Amino acid sequence: MGAAIRSELRKIFTTRLWWGMAIPIVLLAAGVTALLAATSEPEKANPDLGVPAMSQTQFAINTYTGAVGLGYLLTMCVGIVAIGSEYRHQTITSTFLAVPHRTRVMAAKVVALLVTGAFYGLLFVVAAVAAGAAVLSSRGLSTFGEGFAVPRALLLMLLVLGLWALIGLGAGILIPNQVAALMIMVGIAWILEPILGGVLASQDWGEGVSKFFPSRATQAMLSQQSTGINDSVPVERLSWPAGALVLLAYSALLAGIGTWLTTRRDVS
Amino acid sequence: MTTAPTPSPTSTGARIEIAGLTKSFGDFRAVDDLSFVVEPGRVTGFLGPNGAGKTTTLRMLLGLIRPSAGSATIDGRPYAELDNPMQVVGSALEATSFHPGRTGRDHLRVLAAASRVPDARVDELLELVGIAAAAGKRAGTYSMGMRQRLGLAAALLGDPRVLILDEPANGLDPEGIRWLRGFLRHLSTEGKTILVSSHLLNEVEQTVDDVVIIANGRLVQQGPISTLHGDRRQLVRTTDPDRLGAALGEDGLLVVRTGDDSLEVTSEDARRIGDTALRLGLPIYELRESRSDLEDLFFQLTSAPENRNRNLGATEPTTDVQPGEVQ
Repeated sequence: MGAAIRSELRKIFTTRLWWGMAIPIVLLAAGVTALLAATSEPEKANPDLGVPAMSQTQFAINTYTGAVGLGYLLTMCVGIVAIGSEYRHQTITSTFLAVPHRTRVMAAKVVALLVTGAFYGLLFVVAAVAAGAAVLSSRGLSTFGEGFAVPRALLLMLLVLGLWALIGLGAGILIPNQVAALMIMVGIAWILEPILGGVLASQDWGEGVSKFFPSRATQAMLSQQSTGINDSVPVERLSWPAGALVLLAYSALLAGIGTWLTTRRDVS
Repeated sequence: MTTAPTPSPTSTGARIEIAGLTKSFGDFRAVDDLSFVVEPGRVTGFLGPNGAGKTTTLRMLLGLIRPSAGSATIDGRPYAELDNPMQVVGSALEATSFHPGRTGRDHLRVLAAASRVPDARVDELLELVGIAAAAGKRAGTYSMGMRQRLGLAAALLGDPRVLILDEPANGLDPEGIRWLRGFLRHLSTEGKTILVSSHLLNEVEQTVDDVVIIANGRLVQQGPISTLHGDRRQLVRTTDPDRLGAALGEDGLLVVRTGDDSLEVTSEDARRIGDTALRLGLPIYELRESRSDLEDLFFQLTSAPENRNRNLGATEPTTDVQPGEVQ
């Protein structure tokens, strides 16, 4: 197993893709976060609804995590490509020749992706905080707030990015055609699923279902402290560990079915 | 040509056994109840026209394709059950299966890590197959010949006892083919079992000890290549083939007229034919061993009606329905 993991890590860092992927992640995290930090304002108190003014701590959190929706799409793509490029360039043949135990190969890919997912996630978090904090401090706003709220939110964002990388890997294992996997998953995660989740959430009966949707589970992980916003429309949310488990379950389901199919598939 | 059995003193080769192997893709039987054995320490040519099922057979042997029926084993075990397969069996399938953005050295390093081979071995092999100078270049820039060599290096990475090479001469220039021949011969002296597929007999004729010939997924012939040759024959050209033929026939030789001025004589002794012609006072324009028989035989075997290439639509044998028959 150790040998297979070492091989997977070498695969990742011996093509240009790893830093080709790092550039858009850093640029996007820094750019979008800086824009949010520069253009948005902490919400004012709304006495009519009994909503207090947003704390600076909360505003800092909202700023830093503002780009995560794009960030998790990117780490999801990292996950898809980690396996998709093997099918695309037919290197899967030599991979299975070296390690014929296909479940072991897929497990090694999961472990290797934990490393790269953490790497890209960290890159995203650092870029977002660096750019966001620079703008916030230039506006005279608090950059790290009070207590552990901001670090905690950043760690949860890192977890979200890593979990989405795993979802991507699962989808890539399930759909061997890399281009198809990318298009289907971005289409679902970016467009279809949020719309469907939103529609369901607005229905009484859909509420209980939609909180298990990936984007809603993601929100649940990031918005625990956001008691100040959007409470005019109280939304049922999972706790953050539950949200993380839901995302983990999605990736496990995709990877599990995909691996089962892979062990039965002909490689030619 | 090394026709003699060559189990070298350090013979470590393993035995490959294909038994009743069958693979259907839908209605199409790519491999049809195929059985043969590759003996340890010998070079076996796996021959057949394009589309005969060679690659499918090799992929089943290597655990990449699941057989519909039958088994393929190496020393009694399926490939997937070998502990460290690349140290038992080295294989090179297509020359195209490299990530174009990864260097040749890194491709080998990836495989070395997976098969627990020290990295030092990577540079050794790059040197051995003669692409050390291009090792740092991305594989996408490699020529076909360099890809074949890189594939061969990957196959040899684990110093395996068995080598399985699928059309290794494809895309090689004449110099490369010559190099490959010498290389395979060298490897066979180390006692490795080598199974090398080709659609061209003359590509491997000088290298192999045994042949396995298939057509349309079925076994056509197998055995030492010397048994394919049959008896040795001499081709002779002269002014009066009838007279020469009659004289040789009286000598008890089998003579066949093959042209206006040529004969084919079943004999390994060219001097005897020359001496007879001299005795008759006949000039000789040509006298040589007739070597085309193997190629002819291969062609005959694989183009016999029942073995006709199913992939050529025009010659597809009509099985049930005769022309003009109304269903």
